[in-house]
Amino acid sequence: MKALVLAAGGGMNMAPFFPTRPKSMIHVAGRPVLHRTLQMLRESGFGEVCVVVGPNGRLITEFFGAGRSVDMKISYATQGKRGGIGRAVLAAKSRFKAGENFLLAYSDVVAEENLVSSVMEAFRLSDKPAASICLTDDPAGFGNVYLDDAMNITRIIEKPGRGGKGNYVLAGMFVLPYSFFGTLEKNGGDMAKALAALVRAEGLKGAIWEKGWVDLVHPWEVLLANRMVMGTWHDAVVHESIKLRDAKIKGPVHIEENVEIRSGAVIEGPAFIGRGSYIGNNALIRKNSSIGAGSVVGFGAEIKNSVIFGRTKIGRLSFIGDSVIGENVEIGSGTMTTNYDVNGADIKVRLDKALLGTGMKKLGAFAGDGAHLGNGHNIAPGAVIPPGCVVGHNITHPKRGV
Amino acid sequence: MCGISGIVSGENVAAKLLSSIQNLEYRGYDSCGMAVLNARGPVVRKNVGHVADVAEKELFLSLEGVTGIAHTRWATHGGVTPANAHPHLSCDKTLAIVHNGIISNYARLKAALIKRRHKFASETDSEVIAHLVEENRKKGAPLERAFTSALKDLEGSFAVAMVSIEAPHRIYCGKHESPLILGLGKNEFYVGSDFNAFIEHTKDAVVMDDGEYAVVSDHGYEVKRIRDGKPVRKTIMRIDWDSEASRKGGFPHYMLKEIYEQPETVRKALSVSEDSIVGLAKGLTGAKRAYLTGVGTTYYAAKVGQYYFASEADLGVPAASSDEFLENSPLAKDDFVLAVSQSGETYDTLRLVREAKKRGAKTAAVVNVVGSTLSRLVDQVVLQGSGPEICVISTKAALAQMIILMRVAIEAGRMNGRLTPAEKRRKTAQLEALPALISGFLNEYSGLFHTIAQKHASRHNWLFMGRGRFYPVALETALKVKEVAYLHAEGMPAGFLKHGALALIDDTLMSAMFVPGESEKELHRMTMGSVAEINARGGRVIGFHFSKSLRGSKLFEDQVLLPSAPPLTSPLVALLAGQLLSYFLATVLGRDVDKPRSLAKSVTVA
Repeated sequence: MKALVLAAGGGMNMAPFFPTRPKSMIHVAGRPVLHRTLQMLRESGFGEVCVVVGPNGRLITEFFGAGRSVDMKISYATQGKRGGIGRAVLAAKSRFKAGENFLLAYSDVVAEENLVSSVMEAFRLSDKPAASICLTDDPAGFGNVYLDDAMNITRIIEKPGRGGKGNYVLAGMFVLPYSFFGTLEKNGGDMAKALAALVRAEGLKGAIWEKGWVDLVHPWEVLLANRMVMGTWHDAVVHESIKLRDAKIKGPVHIEENVEIRSGAVIEGPAFIGRGSYIGNNALIRKNSSIGAGSVVGFGAEIKNSVIFGRTKIGRLSFIGDSVIGENVEIGSGTMTTNYDVNGADIKVRLDKALLGTGMKKLGAFAGDGAHLGNGHNIAPGAVIPPGCVVGHNITHPKRGV
Repeated sequence: MCGISGIVSGENVAAKLLSSIQNLEYRGYDSCGMAVLNARGPVVRKNVGHVADVAEKELFLSLEGVTGIAHTRWATHGGVTPANAHPHLSCDKTLAIVHNGIISNYARLKAALIKRRHKFASETDSEVIAHLVEENRKKGAPLERAFTSALKDLEGSFAVAMVSIEAPHRIYCGKHESPLILGLGKNEFYVGSDFNAFIEHTKDAVVMDDGEYAVVSDHGYEVKRIRDGKPVRKTIMRIDWDSEASRKGGFPHYMLKEIYEQPETVRKALSVSEDSIVGLAKGLTGAKRAYLTGVGTTYYAAKVGQYYFASEADLGVPAASSDEFLENSPLAKDDFVLAVSQSGETYDTLRLVREAKKRGAKTAAVVNVVGSTLSRLVDQVVLQGSGPEICVISTKAALAQMIILMRVAIEAGRMNGRLTPAEKRRKTAQLEALPALISGFLNEYSGLFHTIAQKHASRHNWLFMGRGRFYPVALETALKVKEVAYLHAEGMPAGFLKHGALALIDDTLMSAMFVPGESEKELHRMTMGSVAEINARGGRVIGFHFSKSLRGSKLFEDQVLLPSAPPLTSPLVALLAGQLLSYFLATVLGRDVDKPRSLAKSVTVA
């Protein structure tokens, strides 16, 4: 069986990481989420995959190429101007053969363990099209399903909004027959309508997923996904090239090759440090921090529960807490992310003109790719720093003489 | 509680034996083993652990032979060790046995055998059987008689199966007070503790009775009396359970599968014949004293029944837990005992029913397992028809039992004039609306309980409370949370708060309150009073209620507005809420949902 992975998605809800990258290239636990999806497919025996990319697809094709790094054969299809999941699926139609089943995966979904094997088991048991389903605190924005006593999906209600209660929702992983492309075409590329037609005609088996699952819609969900994935780590994996001198590591810490760790640094796992990074003297890397390849963490800086995509500089004596920092970002010395409200209120984030609740009491900032903040800033909780934004030093100019 | 299995066939039996004890694993799962006959004798492989793990470790599938027996164990005598796992061999290793039950005189038998230089490899009561047969053979008895005279020496309960090199195409089996069933295939015959042992291969079965034994071969079977070897004519039963129904069907756990089967099990309970319901109602109303009984979840089902007999028929029918019954309830001739049991093999309930019969009382039962001991023991039986319940934790069977008790209560009310025919029709219609209500509830509310479970799974202490018919629901929910989530939980009438439990309230204790609908005005008011009491002491309450007006109430830290249901059936909706909450608490905490530690599906021992 071949797999079809949708990797073109993005939206203003994912600011400041949109539009510079699709959601599939957001990093979680040291890797783009698409990398995790492809690894799960490989583990489940898939050798061939078609990835549908969108406007900034070059980021993906350059990263994965023909697929050698994930030991798969990857081909790419490009989604045209018309958006929507159904259109993205149709973009790959020519890569699949009539009469075959295929696995469809959304790559902006992060699962705690291998979601592919769960949907494949349901498919093999029932010999019917299958869909992963799971429970979520807020089903309003998903396809809500109704099940019968044999776990067949009997009805799908797409994004019920306020009418949503506590249904199982579609979790972004399906096994579908080739004829589904035709069903999509007949329904004008509308995924919800096509799935409803499939439920009526051939049936769709639910594969209940009970482990962790995060759908990346908003930037703070990156932190939830990161913590969930790192929570599954039990062993420390430190590359043989690493010299720890008198730095300390505790717990499941993953450190790639050629990372320089200076004396006095403390790294508390689970944590990830990507290849070629530099961790300065007395730096403190706390739990659930992921520092992407080629990054620099200066002297005495503290990183806590944060995701840094890579090639980013965190200046000396800074604090980055509960934050997501893109690629090629520079954070000046002594710059702090303030990550709580003194009254203990939930932190809100302004995205695309709307102020959204996050349900989180500790939340720092989100800095888009290529942003540059000077020295001495104190960034408000929930702040969104647009990609490429440059903010000078926060410095005083003492007057000359008296 | 253990599961035994045996197969005689024209082809290799190892794979079928393995799947057979996997299907029986819910009867006990601390260790297991298998013996297959080859040209030199029985080859035994056994160890401790779940069946799949032991099978892999001990290479069950590499055994070759056409005759074999297997066992999955739940320890009673002797610790959980490889030596104590079954099958057990005789000293000369020519024969092997598996056993389910308890041999009460084993110590004496064992001492006598040791005097005769028998060497015991285990601490089990079961091993004496192998040595007894061997001893009888030494004295010159032919194998069949050696087997039956060994059985005659046993006191207590047993279902035994034996293979011997002397009869390479035969299994000898016999029973007393432990279940044993034969499965009849084509050139392949089966022995098992219940249908699940062979349901994948045949639907034709013969239920063995106490004091019977059978010689089973690959071309037939003979059932005889242990006492004198006289043949017994048995009727062949056809099992209409679908083998697919015995499996998980893609659900992550049997428990969730069985929760989702409840609309269907309610329909089945509603289709139990009117005659059977009338029969039970007559028995109850005509008796001098009538009782309901069960133990564990079935006791709570009986307790639910007690409330409905009061409300629907003005009848006082006390529910007593079968393990305590004889100590707390007078029982004599002309009394009536209605027992509730899923397996029909529950030790405490069987013991009580046997005693009730001895004293001349009338007995009846609501049972799920066809052909079970209880179903054959009582004067009247109602088979609830819920299908196999594999998860150790009872959900669908318990709900079906409650429905049947409600039907009996409504019928009794009609008979004694408490309910008019029109009222009976209205209430019956409310019951008939339940499957659709449940189906919608399961689909639309699961996520709400999942969210609550995720948020509160770290709380170690829970108090479940309700008033009126919601009290037994609180009891049952607390039991579920204990057995499947391993959390400390108590069920209590909300009225008890003032009489002690309020002293316990602080912000570490999680209270959950089942609040009746507003149409039950007084009960609703009093229950909400209890919620206020807990709040006043700084306690935290999760509310399960039916009132739109309570939405957003600050009295609840979390709450679920349940779908509206009439007072008759609303406690059952609350029961489902409790099932879902306990299921998700267990999955969030990573518990072994279908086989909770230290528990077995039916408790056949004292």
